[in-house]
Amino acid sequence: MVIPAAAPDLTSRVGSVVLKNPVMSASGTFGYGLEFTPFYDISRLGAVIVKGLSLLPTPGNAPQRIVETAAGMLNAIGLQNIGVERFVREVVPRLADAGATCVANIYGRTMEEYEEVARRLEGVASLSAIELNASCPNVKEGGIAFGSTPEGLSTLTRRVRAATGKPLWVKLSPNVSDIRSVARAAEDAGADAVTLINTLVGMAVDCRTRRPRLSNVTGGLSGPAVKPVALRMVWEACRAVKIPVVGIGGIQSAEDALEFLLVGAAAVQVGTANFRNPNACVEIIDGIAAFLARERLAGLDEYRGSLRI
Amino acid sequence: MPFRRPRFVTGRILHNSGHGIFYRMEVSIPDRIEFLPGQFAMVSGWPGNDPLLPRPLAIFRAGGVRGKGTVEFVYKVVGRGTALLSGLHDGDPLQITLPLGNGFELGREDRIWWLVGGGVGFSTVFPAAVALEARRADFDLFLGARSRDQLPPREWIPGAGVPGRAHLCTDDGTAGFFGPVTDAVRERMDRMKAAERGRVTILACGPREMLKGIAELAADREVPVQASLENHMACGFGVCWGCVTGVRDGDKVTYRRVCKEGPVFDAREVVW
Repeated sequence: MVIPAAAPDLTSRVGSVVLKNPVMSASGTFGYGLEFTPFYDISRLGAVIVKGLSLLPTPGNAPQRIVETAAGMLNAIGLQNIGVERFVREVVPRLADAGATCVANIYGRTMEEYEEVARRLEGVASLSAIELNASCPNVKEGGIAFGSTPEGLSTLTRRVRAATGKPLWVKLSPNVSDIRSVARAAEDAGADAVTLINTLVGMAVDCRTRRPRLSNVTGGLSGPAVKPVALRMVWEACRAVKIPVVGIGGIQSAEDALEFLLVGAAAVQVGTANFRNPNACVEIIDGIAAFLARERLAGLDEYRGSLRI
Repeated sequence: MPFRRPRFVTGRILHNSGHGIFYRMEVSIPDRIEFLPGQFAMVSGWPGNDPLLPRPLAIFRAGGVRGKGTVEFVYKVVGRGTALLSGLHDGDPLQITLPLGNGFELGREDRIWWLVGGGVGFSTVFPAAVALEARRADFDLFLGARSRDQLPPREWIPGAGVPGRAHLCTDDGTAGFFGPVTDAVRERMDRMKAAERGRVTILACGPREMLKGIAELAADREVPVQASLENHMACGFGVCWGCVTGVRDGDKVTYRRVCKEGPVFDAREVVW
C-alpha cells in the first residue's frame, strides 16, 4: 500500500526570520514587489526583498543602463529609487495588505545615511529584516567603498547594527580577494546573516563605434553566467561563518536553487530570472517541492547542506 | 473574459513567415487579450540561456474567441534574438508577457490623426489606424523606409483603399515621396490652413532620429506628438529600471521607464 506523502516542508530560517519557503526575490530585480501582483500572489514567496532604498530619492544613472552579454546581462542602474520616506508611506502598507513577508534593502552615500535609513525603518512592524547593500558596484557611494574590505565592512555593519533592532543581513560583494574574510567580518560585527553574491563588475564595448555600451562604462554582471562563481563563494562562506548564508547568483530553475541549498545556503534569492519569466520565483518554489517529493524527503532540512565531497 | 492586465503565457506558433524584410508571426494563446494600440509584448521562444532576455515586440493584432486567443507580431531581424525568432516553426512554443506599456491615447474626438511609421515602426502605429478606421476618424499614414522593398506590403496597410491616405516615402526615391518621412510630414503640414493644422495629432514610431525630427517640426507648429520609443529592455514590466529615457519635469530631467510610463511619451517632454 502506498501511503500518500504530505507535501514536503519548505520552511526555512534565516536566523530569527522564519520563511514559508527558501525562495526570495533579489533586490533590484523585483521593483517594490507590487509590480508582480498581476502575475501571482506575492505572499507565496519566502520573502520579497525590495529595490535598494536610500535616505532621499535617487535619480539613477543616465541611459544606457543595461546590455545583454553571453548568458547574462550587465546593469548600471545607479540605484534609482523613491527614497525611504515614500517607501514607508506608500509601499509598505500595500505590501502588508498583499500578505508579503518583506525585507528592505538599504544603502547610503555615507555611514550616517545608512544609519539614518535603518533608523527610519525601525518602527515599521511589517518589515522582517534589513538587508544592508554594501556591494553595489555602480555607484561610488553605493556601499562598495565600505564593502570591499573586511575593515570597511566591519565598521559599517557595526554602526548599522547599533542603529537597528531588526534582523540585519549583509549583502556581500564578490569583487573581493577573499569572500571568507569579508563574511567573517560581517559576522563578527553583528550581522544576523550574509547574502551573496551581488553582481560581478564587468564591461562591454562596441568595437565599431569604439564606445562603451553602458553610460557608466562598467556594470554588474548577473544571470546564469555568474552561477558557478556564486556557488563557489556561497560554499566557501558557509564553511567560514556560523550565521546563515543566503545564496544568490544566476538561479533560473529549481535545480539551480537546490544546488545552492545543497552547499549549505539557508535560503536563496532569485534575481535576473524574474526579468525573463515573471513567474520564475513561484515556478522554483513548486519545483523544489516536487523534487523533495520525488526524493522522498519530508522537508528541506533533510537536504540542506548535504553535499558529499 | 479577455485579459488586459499583464500575464505571462506560453503560446504556440500558428504561422511565422517572411514578407520581404519583415516577418509576421501569429501565435495562439490560452485566452483572448484586449490591448491598446501601441502596447507591446516581451517574447522569447528559443531554448537555452543565450540570448538571456525576451525581446519587446509591438502587438500588431489580437483576436480569437472565448477561452482561445491569438496574437500577431510583425518584426524585422535586427540581432540574435529576432534571428532566432525568425527560425521558429509552426507549432513551436513561445513565451509571451503581455499586454505591456501605456499605448497611444486616442480619446480625443474631432482630431485629424497623422500616423508616422519609420522602418518597422509601422507595426506600432497600424493598430492605432485600425482603431481609428473602425470609428471613421480622419487619419493619414506616413510610412518611411530606405527603399521600396523595405516598405510594408500594401495589403497590411489599414485603410490603404482610401485614395491619398497612405503617404509612402523612401530615402532613395524608389517609391512615393523622395526623401525622409519627416520632410513629407513637414511639407504637407505647411500646406495646411492654420485652423486645420490646429486639429492635427501625430502618433509616431520609428528610429530615434526620425522621432526627434518629427518632435521638432511639430513643436514649432504647436502640433502635439505622441512618440512611441524603443529601448533595450530586460523585463518589460517596470522592475529592472534598465530602459529609462530622460524626460523633462519642470526644469529638471527625470528618468522614466520606456516599458512602464511609456513606450508612448508626449514628444515635448522627451529629452532627445
